[in-house]
Amino acid sequence: MKIFDFFDLDISKQNQSKFRKIKLLICSLLIIIFFTIIGYRTISLASINKSNVSNKVYAGIENETIAKSLRGNIYDRNNKILATTISTFSLNVNPQEILNIDQTIVKLRKIFPQLEEKYLYKKLNTNKKHINLLKEISPREYVNLLNAGIEGLKIETKNKRIYPNNTLASHILGATDIDGNGIAGVEKKFDSLLQGGSDITLSIHCGIQHITRKLLFDQIKKFEAEGGAGIIMNAKNGEVFSIVSLPDYNANNYNSILNENLFNKATKGIYELGSTLKLITAAIAFDSNLINENDVFDVSKPLKISSRIINDFHPLNYAINIPEVIVHSSNIGSAKIAEKFGSSTQLKYLRSLGLLSMLSLEIPELGTPQVLIDKKVLSTMTISYGHGISITPMHLASATATIVNSGVKVNPTLIKGKTEKNNDVIISNKTSLKIKSIMRLVVSNKYGTAKKAEAPGYLIGGKTGTAEKINPSGGYSKKENIVAFTGAFPMNDPEFIITIMIDNPKGQKFSFGHRTAGWVVAPIVKKLVTRVAPILGVNPQLESSSKFSNNLLNYKIRGKNHGANL
Amino acid sequence: MIRYPSSLIFFVILFAGVSLYQIKHFITKKEIELAQIEKNIKSAQSNINILKAELSYLKRPDRIEKIALDKLGLREILPTDIWNLNDLVNATNILSNGENK
Repeated sequence: MKIFDFFDLDISKQNQSKFRKIKLLICSLLIIIFFTIIGYRTISLASINKSNVSNKVYAGIENETIAKSLRGNIYDRNNKILATTISTFSLNVNPQEILNIDQTIVKLRKIFPQLEEKYLYKKLNTNKKHINLLKEISPREYVNLLNAGIEGLKIETKNKRIYPNNTLASHILGATDIDGNGIAGVEKKFDSLLQGGSDITLSIHCGIQHITRKLLFDQIKKFEAEGGAGIIMNAKNGEVFSIVSLPDYNANNYNSILNENLFNKATKGIYELGSTLKLITAAIAFDSNLINENDVFDVSKPLKISSRIINDFHPLNYAINIPEVIVHSSNIGSAKIAEKFGSSTQLKYLRSLGLLSMLSLEIPELGTPQVLIDKKVLSTMTISYGHGISITPMHLASATATIVNSGVKVNPTLIKGKTEKNNDVIISNKTSLKIKSIMRLVVSNKYGTAKKAEAPGYLIGGKTGTAEKINPSGGYSKKENIVAFTGAFPMNDPEFIITIMIDNPKGQKFSFGHRTAGWVVAPIVKKLVTRVAPILGVNPQLESSSKFSNNLLNYKIRGKNHGANL
Repeated sequence: MIRYPSSLIFFVILFAGVSLYQIKHFITKKEIELAQIEKNIKSAQSNINILKAELSYLKRPDRIEKIALDKLGLREILPTDIWNLNDLVNATNILSNGENK
């Protein structure tokens, strides 16, 4: 039977009741389909469809004032805010919507007296549709504006990154651009984390950072120096408590800062740090077993290698042992030690101490060391006392930490609690003990070059370094120095590393014209340790009552006129 | 004539439709409330951030140092201001031995 036959009246006459049933069935089906469509539509409209409903609801609310998720905060090790993001308001105006300009100016000046009438009149009397009147207004001014009910005003909300401590730790924190993307420092290194709203806790200690900065700043001013760097870090786990680079800047005004101030001297700048490198030379000498502890080196005459003459700043007229080479800071002695252990041994240790490669600190501003690797005797000799090797002060701090930490490699970190167990042993515990004992003598012995660094009770040890600056045109400048100190305290069980560098200090009347590390840097070390040790929980010790004498070796250091006794 | 099952289905569909509309309306209302609460949370977080930043600004080490030195007349701690208990006992013993002699 064909379906069209149902509508044929002639056929229907033959079996009307049968057709009626079929017609009824079709109508019922149509009604069911109709109701199903209506039911489906009812359910689909009634159900929760985010794309249709919620987004519109959310969009309406989101657009009102409050911005999207804020960039994460940066905290110091004691959870003090170093960087945060706040919502600020900017005041815009559409002059076309203003009905009475004079009245509007009066109302605006009541809230913003700093805006001059002429300026406002000029701004509002224009054909433009969008004018920015003020880039930032305070929450109080915002409320006053709402209460004033001025037509044509548009208040926009935007996020602003702020650094409440201004200059403090500016080189570490870095900055963000106008769109809130990290462009320097920790802000850049952890940009994706911070953008996702995560907070970061640094190992930096606000108070210690301030003290380091202040003392360094004062000394730079006193000696009319160009700048400097200061670092305090944990000698055992590498957590950095302060990194100062001067001149610095107010991170809130990053875009208007001179490039010179933005340069991080502590982690990016590479310098020949002079005799501070002698500590490494002594460590290589002891650890390589190529030199006997009792070997002595004649330093009575200048050393001539090729066309170069190596001199001592404080000449001695007799042969001296390794501790005396370090305490008297003898270039000749150091060169002769290096000659004995040779270039390949020297480079092997420099590499393992991390002095030939970039550090893995958590900021992008890191310097790559420059070392004269020609394996010539002269280069080996000059590197032994810090010439021909340019490293960052942070490299020096890191190497010092490794040496005093029983020879176990210390990797500096800016993140609190980032404890990477490092088992790389660079030098033996025995060598470490010898170097620690010598470092203490450099400060405590009457012939030591860092006598002015002695802070009673804190058992400071270290090594000074004074190096002539490299001329941009080549060669060394006789007039400009880089002075540095690297050390640790307390030397019987070193807990903290302190490294200071000052760029180009000038001789002063009160320093009798001296501009060496002993005069310029050592006094800061004393002041700095005296102030930060109580904060760091390092108690002063009496040398007589502490375990000091049992922990360190007691080398005898001879003075200037002891040549005949050898 | 409308049969009983058909009318039942009709009322069930009508009831379901009305109920779903009510639920939708209720959910939309709740979503608005939720969005409002989230907005308030963000606003509160923003205000907290402002307050924290202000507190941090007021607690700047240079400001605290200035107040401590200028207003409170405090001075920097010297090693002699801090005593280890063992050293103190030793010193007391030395002193008392000296007095006995």
